[in-house]
Parts: sequence; structure tokens; C-alpha cells
Amino acid sequence: MSVEQLKDKSETDYNIEELAEELTNGPDWLTDQRRNSQKVFNDTPVPRRGLHLWRYTDPYQFLFNREKMTETEVSANHASVEKTAVSQFKENNTSCLAIDLSGREIKISGAENFQKDGLVVSSLSRAVTSHPELVEKYLYQLVGNKTGKFEAMNGALWHDGVFIYLPDGKQLEKPLHILHDAGRENSSSFPRVLIVVGKNSELTVIDEYSGGSTDSEKGISYSNGVVEIFGEQDSRTRYVFLQRQASAIKSYYTYRSQIERGASMLTIALSFGGALTKQNFGITLNGPGAESTIYGLLFGTDRQHFDNHTIHQHSAGQTRSDIKFKVVLRDKSVSAYTGLIRIEHDAKTCEAYQENRNLLLNKGTRAETIPELEILNEDVSCSHGATIGPIDPDMVFYLTSRGLSKSEAVRTIVSGFVADILKLLPDDLKQRISGFVEQRLENI
Amino acid sequence: MTERKPLFEFKNVHVKVDETEVVNGVSLKIYPGETHAIMGPNGSGKSSLANALMGNPSYTITKGEVYLDGENMLEMEPDKRSLAGLFLAFQYPLPIPGVTVANFLRSAVKARRAKDDDMSDFRKTLKAEMDGLSIDHPFAARYLNDGFSGGEKKRIEILQLAMLKPKMALLDETDSGLDIDALKIVAQGINRFHSDKNGILLITHYQRMLNYVKPDFVHVMMRGKFVKEGGPGLAMELEEKGYEWVEQETAQKVEV
Ligand SMILES: Nc1ncnc2c1ncn2[C@@H]1O[C@H](COP(=O)(O)OP(=O)(O)OP(=O)(O)O)[C@@H](O)[C@H]1O
Ligand SMILES: [Mg+2]
Repeated sequence: MSVEQLKDKSETDYNIEELAEELTNGPDWLTDQRRNSQKVFNDTPVPRRGLHLWRYTDPYQFLFNREKMTETEVSANHASVEKTAVSQFKENNTSCLAIDLSGREIKISGAENFQKDGLVVSSLSRAVTSHPELVEKYLYQLVGNKTGKFEAMNGALWHDGVFIYLPDGKQLEKPLHILHDAGRENSSSFPRVLIVVGKNSELTVIDEYSGGSTDSEKGISYSNGVVEIFGEQDSRTRYVFLQRQASAIKSYYTYRSQIERGASMLTIALSFGGALTKQNFGITLNGPGAESTIYGLLFGTDRQHFDNHTIHQHSAGQTRSDIKFKVVLRDKSVSAYTGLIRIEHDAKTCEAYQENRNLLLNKGTRAETIPELEILNEDVSCSHGATIGPIDPDMVFYLTSRGLSKSEAVRTIVSGFVADILKLLPDDLKQRISGFVEQRLENI
Repeated sequence: MTERKPLFEFKNVHVKVDETEVVNGVSLKIYPGETHAIMGPNGSGKSSLANALMGNPSYTITKGEVYLDGENMLEMEPDKRSLAGLFLAFQYPLPIPGVTVANFLRSAVKARRAKDDDMSDFRKTLKAEMDGLSIDHPFAARYLNDGFSGGEKKRIEILQLAMLKPKMALLDETDSGLDIDALKIVAQGINRFHSDKNGILLITHYQRMLNYVKPDFVHVMMRGKFVKEGGPGLAMELEEKGYEWVEQETAQKVEV
């Protein structure tokens, strides 16, 4: 199904029909949320091209004909990806592993070891009955049917997802790993993750998105995902988002988190895969002393298209946010980055920093950077900066003058460019990610 | 007796930067074991010459020849010149964020060895050379020149010299930015490196450095040309009389 075919259709062709029966199972509040989302999706026009956040990406790319989509088996490389995840778990690099097969099946390992701490790692569908108050209290609260048309699409159609709850005063030493598989060509998936980190608790989550079509001739696959994370008072959360999907998938992801008084949140967003990826990372600093840091890294090759947004929403005073978003592009890949810092009128003495750096490895790549500041009071310290350009030829000369070949010099400089982000990752993940980076620097 | 061959030689070299000729025909022969110094006022083309000899693509050699040990340098990219034994210690070493001193040096040393050569001696050698230059070991884990002080950068340049052991070292103002003690340490490092097999071409503004690293010849460069040559005494004379004196002298020569 090509984009052109999609465009020929009228918008009503993309209506979400009556919800499938399995989606209306569960409590009434959930069915209501789904029905509302369905209605919002159907009633909301497709965002017009050129409007805010849609300047660089065609929204029709994320609409697809549901009837043509199948519920496929797992993706071609899933077996090997799952094997890696399982061995990481068995080697004790991760504490728990949740495998999400396009929302059709959620497999959890390791949660039982932490039951005494009250840790819950479960499929969302089970959590709805096992922890009804918790799920109802948090689900749809950060990303609901008011967030936007595509978020409503997920809200109506998510099949199953992953629920993580860490009660107050607990620390999980090793990261918890979620692995989502998007299926094969002509498949669609709607991953959904809900994470609640209790007061004064500490949690690291690696949220990995894999799979999808490997061949656009055979068919595209689609993924539309939502992540909601709550960091309660004085909690410390590290969240690694890893998108390493196959080459013929179109993905739309919305991630929102809200952190309360004294809580800290480190978000590391790593993007390598997909044909077309739109990602929106938003964090609300909701209590004094809250601190959020986002490190972004994306590496585009071939004709990959990335469109990223970040939002740091300072709703409370004495909050601090920092963003470093790094982009490396080669071949004919493109990236657009829009970074919004919003500081409310009553949120005094905030600090907010934002930096977007784009390294273009050859002509033919394109990067855009759009800083947005909505600062409604004067008592803040705020800075933003952006750079777009090729590797400094003087750096290359310095390294080649010591005997490194030109391509080795380029690889060294790019590895250096991403080093401050990789440094933050656990060792085993760091190795995998530097592997992805090295792979993308082959034959440079 | 066999004829003595120069280790490093350049003939009638012209260098262009941004369409401007900044070096207008300079020649020099350096024999094994020799130390030469180039002195000259700011902007006279010393760094441009050094960069062009090393193959910096911003500095085009429009005319002339350059040989190291009989090999034509102008046919080689900078990395090949380096592997052939040429080295330039930069006047302003560039920061390379995210690349540690140790990893960088490991790659540079590895480039000189056979593919599957054992590198297990590397750490030990690096530590020994760092000790020799009074560089604290944690520096090995720092990002190359990133946030280094002026003097620290210069020491790390000489550390690179010590690790790579080139045949011919071009040292561009390695003395500037160094305090009195550091100057001595760096000069000792250069002298440890120096042997009767290799050559040194030292660019400097100050006699002070030449007290430690003794030149066999001093060349004065002005406006892109070598205008005067002498022994170590010339540097002293320059210190005393300044470049104006050379200028007057050469002007007189032209008149004659
Ligand atoms: N990369 C460059 N781009 C433009 N002009 C340059 C560049 N490098 C050198 N020049 C110019 O070439 C001339 C010679 O500069 P060079 O740096 O070679 O002088 P120098 O003798 O090393 O001076 P100093 O003693 O101050 O280090 C100067 O006029 C300088 O402005
Ligand atoms: Mg100079």
C-alpha cells in the first residue's frame, strides 16, 4: 500500500470501526476510555501539513487501512533479538524481562523474584483486574484522547501492554527490560507502557522497540505507541528508549512523564531504525526540586526520516531541566528536531537548558532544528543552542596526521560525539549501542 | 665514502591559504641527527609551512618538492606521511571531544603495527612515557585536549611524539604556554626522543627553548621566505636586536 493510494482516499476511510470484541473486554471505565478515544480519532481531522509539529512530516504516513493489516507472527529477526534479551536476563544484567509480541502476547520473566518488594510487572490486561485502582488511577492520565489524533488511535486500539509499579521506598538495582516486537510486513501494532515509580523509589527501565517489515516491496508495517511514566515524590527514574526497528516500518510514539516534588528523571532516547519515525518526548516537572534530563541520540542512514519533539514543561518553581539531543546523519537521511521549553507564570527560579547538535556525514543529508521557548516569567535561567554541520576538517586532519586513515578518523570523531551519551548506559547496553553506531559507520 | 643523504628535504615550497600565498619559495635540507630552528615574526608563515608539509588540506602547496627519506611526501595523504615518519606537534592542538588520550594513542600506535600485532605492551609504554613528561596517569582517560590548559596540550603533543617515534619531528611553538618547569620537562622529553637517526625542526619565538634543545642551524622566516640562516648564535642576536635588524640587513643586501 503506497502513500499515494492512501492520499487518494477520503479521511473517513480511516475511521476506526466498531472496536473488536477483545478490545471491549475489561471493566467499564476502560471500555469507555477506548470508545472515547475511538470517537476522538474519528472526529479529529488529520493535522494539516505545515501546521505546528507537522512541518517536516506528512501525517497521512501514519494512517493506514485497517482491513489490509494482518495480525502477523513475530518479525523476521525476533528470535535472535529475543535470544539476546533472554541471555542479558539470565546473565543478571537485567532484573526482569517483559516481551511484548505486538500486544498479542506479553511474556514476563523474573518478576516473582521481587514480589516481596511489591514490584508489579505485568501485562496491562492482567493488571486491569489484579490492580484495578492503580491502573484506573494512572492509565490515560498523561496521554489521553485529548493529546491528539494519533494518541487517541493508540488509546482505542492498544491490544495489550506492559504495566510496571514499584511501591514507595524501593530500589531495583538492575534495569527492567521491555522488548516490543512490531511483527512483519503489513502488520500494525499499538504498544502501550505504563510505569509508576513510588515515593523515594528508584527504577531503571530499558524500553526496546524492535521488528517490523524489512522489505517495503512486500509491505510496510506500522506502529503507534504510548508510554506513560509517573515519578512520585523524591523518586529517581532512568528510562532508556531504544528504537532499533527494521527498515520498512513507520512509527509514531508519544512518551509522557510527570515527576513530582524532589523527583528526578533521566530519559535516554536512542533511535536507529525505521523508515519513518515520529517521536514525542514530554516531561512535566510538577513539584519543586524536580529535575529532568533528556539525552537523545539518533543515527540516520539510507533514506531514513526522523521527526522528534521534546517538551520540558515546568509547572512548578525551583525545577531544573536539561536536554542534549544529538543527531548523526549519513546517506540521504533527514532529521527534524523541535524542542519546547515551557515555564509557567508561577514557576519561579527554574533552570532550563537545551542543546541540539547535528553532525552531517555527507552532502544529501538534511537536518532541521527548531527551538521553542514559552517562558512566562522572568525569574528563570534558560539557554538553548543548536549546531548543524559536517565534521570539522581540522579534526580529521589532526587524527590523520597521527596515522589514522580518513575513515578511521571519521569513525573516531563520531564515536567521540556520541560518547557522553553512551557513558550513561549500563555496560552491556553500551556495548550493543556502540555496535549499532559502528555498524552505521561501515564503509564511510 | 658514501654521500650523506638528507633525512628531510623541501625545495622551493610555495603555500597558498584561501587564495593568498603565505609561503613563497622556501628550501631546507635536514640531515639525520640535526636540529633546526625556525624563528620569525607573527604571521610570517611558519605554521602554514609546517601544516602544508604535514598535508593539511587547507594549506595547498602550489609549487615545490618535499621528501622524507627519499619518499615524495606530496604524493601522500597526511596519514601516509605520518606512517612514513613525519610528525607535527601543533601550535594549537584541537580538542577531540569524547575520544580519550589513551584510545587515540592506541589507534595511532596500532596504525603503525601489523594488523594482528600484540598491543599488550601499550599501557606500560604509555605510563612510562607519561611519567617521563610528569603527566598524571588519569590524563590517559581524559578526552583529547578537551578542556586542557595551554601547557597541558603541549605536553600531550610531546607525549604523542614520544609514543609515535617519528623520523622527522616538526614542533610548532611547543614551548609557548609552558611555565618554566614545564618547559624544562618538555625539552628533556624532546631530547630523549632525539637521536642521530632522526631530525627536529623547531619553530619558536624564544631563545629560552633553544637553551635546552640546542639547534645546529637557525633560520629566520619573514613574509613567507627564509631571509637569514646561522648557527645557534643567531637566536641570541635576534633576541637582542629584534627582527627589524634582519630586515635592514636583507634590504641592504638587495641594494647591493
Ligand atoms: N587557516 C587559515 N585561514 C586563513 N588565513 C590563514 C590561515 N592560516 C594562516 N593564515 C594566514 O597566513 C599568514 C601566515 O600565518 P601563520 O600562522 O603561518 O604564521 P606564523 O608564522 O605561524 O605566526 P605566529 O608566530 O603568530 O604563529 C597569516 O597572515 C595568517 O593570517
Ligand atoms: Mg604559528
